[in-house]
Amino acid sequence: MTITLRDVTLRQGTFLLDRASLDVAAGAYGVVLGAAGSGKTTLLETVAGIRAPDGGTVHLGGADVTTVAPERRGVAMVYQQSLLFPHLDVSRNVAYGAKSSAAVDDAVAWTGIERLLSRFVTTLSGGEQQLVALARALSSEPRVLLLDEPFAALDPPRRAAMRRMIRALQRERGITVLHVTHDVTEAALLADSLAVLDAGRVLQHGAATALFARPASARVAELLGAENVLAGSATMRDGMVELRTGALVIHALPPDGEALAGEVHAVIGADEITLSREPKESSARNAFTARVVAISGAGALVRVELDVSGTPLVAVVTAGAARELALATGSAVHAAFKATAVRIC
Amino acid sequence: MTDRSRQRVAAIIAAIAASLLLLFLAVPTIALVARGGAAGARGLFADAELRSAIALTVITATASTIIAVLLGTPLAWWLTRRTFRGRSIVDAILDLPLLIPHPVAGIALLLVLSRGSPLGAALLAVGVRIVSTPLGIIAAMLFVSAPLYVSAAREAIARVDPRYEGVARTLGDTEWRALRRVTLPLAGRGLLAGAVVSWARASSEFGAIVILAYQPRVASVLSYDRFTSYGLREALPVAAALLLVAIVPLVVLRALGARDRSRIAGERSARA
Repeated sequence: MTITLRDVTLRQGTFLLDRASLDVAAGAYGVVLGAAGSGKTTLLETVAGIRAPDGGTVHLGGADVTTVAPERRGVAMVYQQSLLFPHLDVSRNVAYGAKSSAAVDDAVAWTGIERLLSRFVTTLSGGEQQLVALARALSSEPRVLLLDEPFAALDPPRRAAMRRMIRALQRERGITVLHVTHDVTEAALLADSLAVLDAGRVLQHGAATALFARPASARVAELLGAENVLAGSATMRDGMVELRTGALVIHALPPDGEALAGEVHAVIGADEITLSREPKESSARNAFTARVVAISGAGALVRVELDVSGTPLVAVVTAGAARELALATGSAVHAAFKATAVRIC
Repeated sequence: MTDRSRQRVAAIIAAIAASLLLLFLAVPTIALVARGGAAGARGLFADAELRSAIALTVITATASTIIAVLLGTPLAWWLTRRTFRGRSIVDAILDLPLLIPHPVAGIALLLVLSRGSPLGAALLAVGVRIVSTPLGIIAAMLFVSAPLYVSAAREAIARVDPRYEGVARTLGDTEWRALRRVTLPLAGRGLLAGAVVSWARASSEFGAIVILAYQPRVASVLSYDRFTSYGLREALPVAAALLLVAIVPLVVLRALGARDRSRIAGERSARA
């Protein structure tokens, strides 16, 4: 069932959800990415019908449901805090909205909570609670599953397992999912379509790959986790963009092959910047001498903060590469990235 | 004086002040039980007038509480979950009965329910008499005790996360069904405590009842009647018997509170 929001506006005290629009195709996985307080939960509750918008429309499966009661929308919601009914045991929670016992059995089997059924919800761990909340939602056989930060309270292995479970559900059952999260990695892993929400406004929405490839603004790029967002003025030279930011001149390909000039932003992925001890002969159009300001990261990847003639840049290299380069705070390195790695927006 | 000895003096003064107040509150009731308790307990069996007065009190207070629960619970839900204009007027209407002297409440009720008023006359025309009947007693009790129930019920419902209702709605419940299946059970203990407080208030009411329905006599009116007619000696057993009746809601409330605390503690340890 498609989800379509058009100009949904909702005032709540001092918070304003401001003309929010987004689309999720039938059976697709939609993600709304936004920081805490950006209006994600409010947006989801508007789709669920728990909150009525002051303006705009909500369509599910092509039908206008803006004024339809939540119980007749065919949606189910899973909150971050699971919100299991504390006066009911697990089996009664799961069966709460079920239309048949077969649906309950199916939901229990999917989520693997057979051994929890006779437990009281207050005795469950956070991960178990989320599984039960998911089973409760599934047993009502929703056509749209709304997820409000459902993995936030889980430890990383459980999070990955539950992510796979919901992804499989969506693919095999054709359930349309709308998932709100503040976690860029989660959004990148799950989203077919993506909307970026910031302070009550949808800054950009569309196919997830398109958003990551072409953020519409510097703010979107920042929210999508790009480490290097540089403001500067652009001019065209030999069919390429020359962007001046501080003392730096960065070369980039013009977006959509069109000439541009004036104030723009350049976004460079931290993983696109290569580091070396000596200047390298390579095809990279952008090569600079940089000073290492800080090194952090204990895992497989190391985050290196650089100072390039006064402009801060962040590079991410493998731990092996960092050892090989003998990176140390204050040392000089050569940083390079291709013109094609620079996204202009 | 050192800081420590100054603290000690402050603690002693506070302890004396607290003891004085507690003694003031406890001694009269203890004296009443000591002096009249045995006679009161005997009176519950032997004194037919006292027995029927207490029975009448229990029945009318229960009826008043049932009405308060049936009408007050939807009102409490509405006041908790909805925002609307004129809310402060509703709040004032609910607060007023708790602030005015109870005989004044009785006079006000008499004004609208007596045969001289349009409402009283209309009720009388269909055979319903309020003044000096058990219905009058219930009306007086309801007037002074219903606001207490609504206030407790509001608090109990406000403690239930409204998102539970939202979840129930998406699982197929109508608003009414979600209220019945989720909110009311979760607020149940608080609602019950509110009903007990309301019952205790109703059963101990005197001022409004004595104006609206001196007869038939409820227990509080009977104790006053015995006192003014025969003096302290005769009033004592009745007063002591009433005190014994009042202990019932006290015990129920303590039990509800204790279970609530143990439940909260249980949830905490489960979370940890």
